[in-house]
Amino acid sequence: MELEAIIGLEIHVEMKTKSKMFSSGPVSFGDDPNTNVNIVDMAFPGTLPTVNKQAVINAIRVSHALNMKICDLVTFERKNYFYSDLPKGYQITQQFHPIGSDGYLTIKTSSGEKKIGIERLHMEEDTCKQLHSWDFSLLDYNRAGIPLIEIVSRPEMRSGEEAAKYVEKIRSIVTFLDVSDGKMEEGSLRCDVNISLREKGSNKFGTKVEIKNLNSLANIQKAIDFEISRQSIILEFGGQIEQETRRFDEGSKETVLMRVKNDAVDYKYFTDPNIAPIQLSKEFILDAIRTSPELAESKLLRYRELDLNEYDSSLLISDKDVSVYFDEGLKSGCSAKLLANWVIGDVQSYLNKEGISIKEFPVCSLELGKLISLVEKGDVSNKQARDVFAEMIKTHKDASTLIKEMGLSQVSDENALIGIIKEVIDVNPQSVVDYKAGKDRAIGFIVGQVMKKTQGKANPALANKLILEEISRR
Amino acid sequence: MGYMDKSLTYIHEAILKGEVTPLELVKEALLLAKEDTNNAFEYICEKEALDAVIKLDASKKNNLLYGIPVVIKDNFSTKDIPTTGSSNILNGYVPVFSSEVVTRLEKEGAIIIAKSTMDELAMGGSGTTGHLGVTYNPWDKDKKHQVGGSSCGSAAAVSAGIVPFALGSDTGDSVRKPASFAALVGLKPTWGRISRFGLFPFATSLDHVAYFTRNVYDSAYILNILAGRDDKDASSSFNKVEDYTANLSNSIKGKKIAVIKGIIDSISDKEVVKSFNVSLSYLKAQGAEVDVVDIDVKLLKAIYPTYIIISCAEATSNNANLDGIKFGNRIEGESFEEVMVKTRTNGFSPLIKRRFVIGSFSLLKENQDELFVRAQKCRRLIVNAFNRVFEKYDAIYCPAAPSIAPLVKGSSNNLSDEYLIADNYMAFANMGGYPSITLPLGFENNMPFGGNLTAKPFQESLLLNIAQAIENGTGLKDLVAKRN
Repeated sequence: MELEAIIGLEIHVEMKTKSKMFSSGPVSFGDDPNTNVNIVDMAFPGTLPTVNKQAVINAIRVSHALNMKICDLVTFERKNYFYSDLPKGYQITQQFHPIGSDGYLTIKTSSGEKKIGIERLHMEEDTCKQLHSWDFSLLDYNRAGIPLIEIVSRPEMRSGEEAAKYVEKIRSIVTFLDVSDGKMEEGSLRCDVNISLREKGSNKFGTKVEIKNLNSLANIQKAIDFEISRQSIILEFGGQIEQETRRFDEGSKETVLMRVKNDAVDYKYFTDPNIAPIQLSKEFILDAIRTSPELAESKLLRYRELDLNEYDSSLLISDKDVSVYFDEGLKSGCSAKLLANWVIGDVQSYLNKEGISIKEFPVCSLELGKLISLVEKGDVSNKQARDVFAEMIKTHKDASTLIKEMGLSQVSDENALIGIIKEVIDVNPQSVVDYKAGKDRAIGFIVGQVMKKTQGKANPALANKLILEEISRR
Repeated sequence: MGYMDKSLTYIHEAILKGEVTPLELVKEALLLAKEDTNNAFEYICEKEALDAVIKLDASKKNNLLYGIPVVIKDNFSTKDIPTTGSSNILNGYVPVFSSEVVTRLEKEGAIIIAKSTMDELAMGGSGTTGHLGVTYNPWDKDKKHQVGGSSCGSAAAVSAGIVPFALGSDTGDSVRKPASFAALVGLKPTWGRISRFGLFPFATSLDHVAYFTRNVYDSAYILNILAGRDDKDASSSFNKVEDYTANLSNSIKGKKIAVIKGIIDSISDKEVVKSFNVSLSYLKAQGAEVDVVDIDVKLLKAIYPTYIIISCAEATSNNANLDGIKFGNRIEGESFEEVMVKTRTNGFSPLIKRRFVIGSFSLLKENQDELFVRAQKCRRLIVNAFNRVFEKYDAIYCPAAPSIAPLVKGSSNNLSDEYLIADNYMAFANMGGYPSITLPLGFENNMPFGGNLTAKPFQESLLLNIAQAIENGTGLKDLVAKRN
């Protein structure tokens, strides 16, 4: 029996809007518990929801990036259930008319490109965070009401690798669009996997198992691969798959049972009467899309047009903040190729060494660009630029100030150089004779003397050229 | 001499003339409130009121409400003042914020002297189901009659002459019905005209802030203060707020009034119909055109069941926050489920639980189409039918109730036309969000009954104009029940 895995993903993305989905409470991560809470977030009796416009704009942008149809009538439903992390006793979500529907994205795997269908994208609010101890539970309402978008794929993935690539792509989209931090390890991007197996060629679905608590791309892949082999073994031996929720245990690299699923809960959905349907104008939707930050794919094309190679370009877009740093540096007008080399090389190795992110990197990219421009002009040599760069990191001073302070600017003034060259040749006539006799090394001696006289500041290429001209005149 | 049985304008003039001070008014109202025998109050804010009156900003004394004692129904959140919705589940709850309407009243200089009793969580029409028990009708010294609900305490406080104005809420007829039973003017403006922020929700799509006064002018004046957009309530309207007192004395010549035949036909009390007809003659005398108009009786009979399904469904969701985790008198348990079950079982009365069960049942997947969705469709048909009347008429006018206030221990035939139509039809104004006002029509056995006038959305000015014409005709205003 040849089996194939049917995999669908539900991804929750926490938006980094200024305020919450339905209140003016601030959205902020990592603060002390229960400090970013207002009366709406805690469902004080009589409080009412107001829709966060930026969240709607974000949802439109992500929907567009996922090639979805955008619903221009925004309505919200109540999902009614009792749970200790649910302040109102219902969650406001979009059940009946998700803002995005019927889209897809294309992933690249080791076996080529594949289109993955996306069923729906909707907005909703997060619940509060629970911390369970052995005899008590703590509730942190900072998270309550944070805007979420939920993205539901069609069950069109077949392997752990495809699922991981899919999530990676979604993460790239939401981070490049400035919608979310997309940090799986911190829970700002959460992924639930639905997976079942069936005989290849069959069009029936097998029993579905849900896997939760996947906090990295690697774990998604590992959990799915494990689950495929677990279910395969059961099926090969004639067993049956239970409908259950499992979690991935990082220690054992296995999925373990959380709970057996009974009948689905009836959430008694109905449209929230506090929020009248919002008709989005065509202009509003187009404007949200038009002003949308640039996606990784389009940056890649742009970098390729700047003559960067595929490898460098993809390194630059592997992290949104790196690409933003690079784009900012381009504004200096320096060579894209040189800038890319610096960002991928010197900058990245400093970040790796210090264990910091590019956002914490002390040299602003515009200044780095200026330094590179000076190298291009020949004002400083590459080696000098590295010294300046090291000082910029230490002192936070700009490149031109440091070059002056360090006395590094090259002498590129032809008249000044010619004077010095003539002096050197005058006192070393033997060198001219030697050079003309075919001893190329003689020129090196003269260059060395010129450098000595200029304390190393002579532009070597220029000096070389002028010396040859001078010799030929003698 | 007392002032609390006078109109807002009268009291205001007295303050301006220096005849009485806000402190004296507040003391008078507090004294009357403490002597109340009708069970009108959840909480008398003696200390809070005396503090507030001292802090009054004298530069605001030209505001009509400056220094005027008022009563607030106990389902409006009031900062630092206990607010229970007359339900045990919220015993001891002291809000950290005030409702938008309360804030607006306080800004105008009004002094809250008490929170009033109500049917538990506003679910009820008798004024007998709050956690403090029955609220009585001040017009009945023998305490046999209801005052109606759910805004029973507010109605009792105003009709007993304790305050000249009290805030209520109206989801089916919870202000307009008690107004009829207590000889008051009860106004429920258009849905969205007044912010609901801070009003404990019963049934969101039907809930309205509403209030009692003893005459039409006071009602119009209060609307000037309460109406207007509030960003905290996304459903509140951006429509311009008018001066609702400006058109009160306009002629109503040529205004077209519809009387709904099926409603009048369902009323058996001849006194009520007679007084109603007399009031029609006042309207005609002032030049209004009055027609009797038909609406399908099947639709009129459907108003009440439609209201029940929609309101119970919304109520079960709206009150799901009272789970003992954050709110609600928590009863401890081994798990969060147990805490919730115990808290809610103990906190809500059987009547409330019955409504929640009806609401949940009608929302269940297997029932939703047959019950909740059908009720919503039915609501649309009902509103369409009334909209068609409003295409030709400026207002709809009918008795507000089929009779005087029922007995506390009375019973009604819940399947009779009178109960299904005349006793419960006013919810059509909640379904359509129409502005609607009840005002006194007459008395039977010394107990009052009223008429109800309803207009198109945001036509409060016209509504009040016609109401003023009726009041001019009946001369029934500033009525206060005699104290024993």
